[in-house]
Amino acid sequence: MPAAPHPEGTDPCSDHGGEGPTVLDLPNVPMALKREWLEAETRRHFLARGSKALAWAGLATLLGRSAPHLLADTSALPDRRPHFAPKAKRAIYLFMAGAPSQFETWDYKPKLSGMFAQNLPESVRGGQVLTGMTASQAGLPIAPSLFKFSQQGRSGQWVSELFPHTGKVVDELCVIKSLYTEAINHEPAILTMTTGNMFPGRPSLGSWLAYGLGAINEELPTFVVMTSKMPVKQNVQALSNRLWSSGFLSPEYAAVALRSGSEPVLYLKDPRGLSRDMRQAMISGVSELNRQLFERVGDPEINTRISQYEMAFRMQASVPDLSDFSDEPASTWDLYGPKAREPGTFAYNCLMARRLAERGVRFTQIFLRTWDNHTNLPAGIRAMCEDSDRPTYGLITDLKRRGMLDDTLVVWGGEFGRTVYSQGTLTADNYGRDHHPRCFSMWMCGAGTKPGMTYGETDDFSYNIVKDPVHVRDLHATILHQFGFDHNKLTFKSQGLDQKLTGVLPARVIPEVLA
Amino acid sequence: MRSPGLLLLAALACSAEPATFDGRVAQVLRDNCSQCHGERKQKAGLRLDSHAAVLLGSKDGPVVEPGNVGASELARRISLSPLDDDFMPSGEHPPLSPSEISLLKAWIAAGAPATTPFDSPAMEPAAAPPPAAPDYGPRLALARALAGELGVTLVPRSRIQTDGLILRTAGAPSRCDDQALARLAPVSDLIVEAELARTRVTDKGMEAVGAWKNLRRLDVTRTAVTSDGLAFLAPLQLLESLNLTQTRVDGRGLALARKFPALRRIWAFEGP
Repeated sequence: MPAAPHPEGTDPCSDHGGEGPTVLDLPNVPMALKREWLEAETRRHFLARGSKALAWAGLATLLGRSAPHLLADTSALPDRRPHFAPKAKRAIYLFMAGAPSQFETWDYKPKLSGMFAQNLPESVRGGQVLTGMTASQAGLPIAPSLFKFSQQGRSGQWVSELFPHTGKVVDELCVIKSLYTEAINHEPAILTMTTGNMFPGRPSLGSWLAYGLGAINEELPTFVVMTSKMPVKQNVQALSNRLWSSGFLSPEYAAVALRSGSEPVLYLKDPRGLSRDMRQAMISGVSELNRQLFERVGDPEINTRISQYEMAFRMQASVPDLSDFSDEPASTWDLYGPKAREPGTFAYNCLMARRLAERGVRFTQIFLRTWDNHTNLPAGIRAMCEDSDRPTYGLITDLKRRGMLDDTLVVWGGEFGRTVYSQGTLTADNYGRDHHPRCFSMWMCGAGTKPGMTYGETDDFSYNIVKDPVHVRDLHATILHQFGFDHNKLTFKSQGLDQKLTGVLPARVIPEVLA
Repeated sequence: MRSPGLLLLAALACSAEPATFDGRVAQVLRDNCSQCHGERKQKAGLRLDSHAAVLLGSKDGPVVEPGNVGASELARRISLSPLDDDFMPSGEHPPLSPSEISLLKAWIAAGAPATTPFDSPAMEPAAAPPPAAPDYGPRLALARALAGELGVTLVPRSRIQTDGLILRTAGAPSRCDDQALARLAPVSDLIVEAELARTRVTDKGMEAVGAWKNLRRLDVTRTAVTSDGLAFLAPLQLLESLNLTQTRVDGRGLALARKFPALRRIWAFEGP
């Protein structure tokens, strides 16, 4: 069917100089849709923008891989070089969701043992508002840790009896006891830890790193998330993919979440009877159609889709090898424990994280839930530590003896701390703890962090920080620093702002925790 | 563009107070020395957890000569090669950083004062670190083209053009073999790190790597490299870190590697 000529002087598409067919010439397409296409960016507009707009430049990298013919001008590629030589090549973040109590884990408070059931002095609380969960209680009875502490390692750091294994590697850890956050509820607090902001929609730390550094291995995602089987079935907090979304960055920087079942990625296996060649031909065909559409309308989401198809195709080859643990030496199982053979456990995920790190995955975040011990804390936290202590030790030891701890940053921690006073009834062997954002403990190890040290100090009640406070922003700035980035310069323009992980409030790298 | 040295320095300078013994010097000693020379242990009869104790010295005599860095045993030991028997801190504790070493030396040079503040080196502009490799700028396109052809990647360590390139193979380790290493010769002086884990490289490939004069870090985890291959690496004057995990390098190879002049870290997990 011949194209109907458009009326003289009405062609707004300057790219064609009024010659040749345009979108307006397409038959059987509603005029409103044609107009919409014309208002979209054309490829020529997009190229003309050059290398200044990072949004487009990020896209160019994708094209550089999947469709080199679209962009011959490599000056449009984003600068994937760190600002300075990095110490960390990859990170494994052990996210203890639900907020482990600092009293039973890393913030030893010996003076509390003589203050059992005494009311928290008003002077310590300083009139701070209580949460709805504890405001109606008759009192705020002090609950000392039921678990004993001892000094371990050459560094002599105080280690809880809940960590018999992690205690063996305490000389590798840089424990920070003075983290604080503004968020007091789980969702905003976890978002703050993962994305630097308590409102949804910001890129996750792993997405920033993927955006800034690019992939080491194109066969696997740059950013991987794993959620672990829950050791107990109480105080379950929801986890959602906004914790590992790429926000306003291109969706290619979002994490790929590996499932906790025996198949880490659903539908990755080809159906029976479909050969690899046939699958490849199909993906190529779909990609070509998508590329043609991109040439016409220039929507970067199209390229994201192309890259996702191609990534999934490559993962079909790489994931089976990744999840086949038969090549692990016997020593692996001694280290991580027998549960590492059971897909989805925290132990399995720790071992998987090491295998991902070996294959060049930049950022692996493992979530372990149900640390939210409002009630029955002693039994709850004991179960959590029994599940996670040995694999945590195993991961650190394994990375160390394979020479990977030098450039792999390991981070352990939750989203806030817990209260010194008991939530609910305090007895000699049972208590609970409410949320407490004013101080909490975390640790980092590897990749140039200072081993065997403690940074920051809280008061005798671990209620207020008395020395060296570290905001979540400071932690993020420090992590980016280890990856070679100035947190003020790793930016992306969105909604008129040069957005960054650390936001607009001041953040500082903590040099004292770096070797 | 500002150099990373300056950035780091800015970060340090922000937190730096006027240096005193009780401030930053004590902090450095506490972080690095007091595990063995403190309250819990007093190796060689030495404690380094107070000004008086530092000046008191060890059972063998003083460790600090106020005003004389060259005669101060403490300054000498922390400045040695980490492989030297006298090197401190001993064991697995990492060496002091250059800024920590210069702080302690500045304190000694200033007469090892107990309370008087002294000029701290971190507050002054430090000399730029020596370049790791020649400027990669002129040869980056060549390096990328060559890498693309060989199925490996060569990526800048940072925007500082003299920080060198990293050779990566994790995307397709099976494509990297001895011949690929040999063909990297035109850009080999730019390579400061080589990640060759799980590749098909053998001892023959190490012969090529032995000519990569600016190489600092080499990882040959899970390759067929043996002790014979390690012998080819002897000319590498700057090689600091060598990962031999799951290779066939045996005691003979490890003994060879110990003689490499700059080697500080070596791993041989799951060896023969």
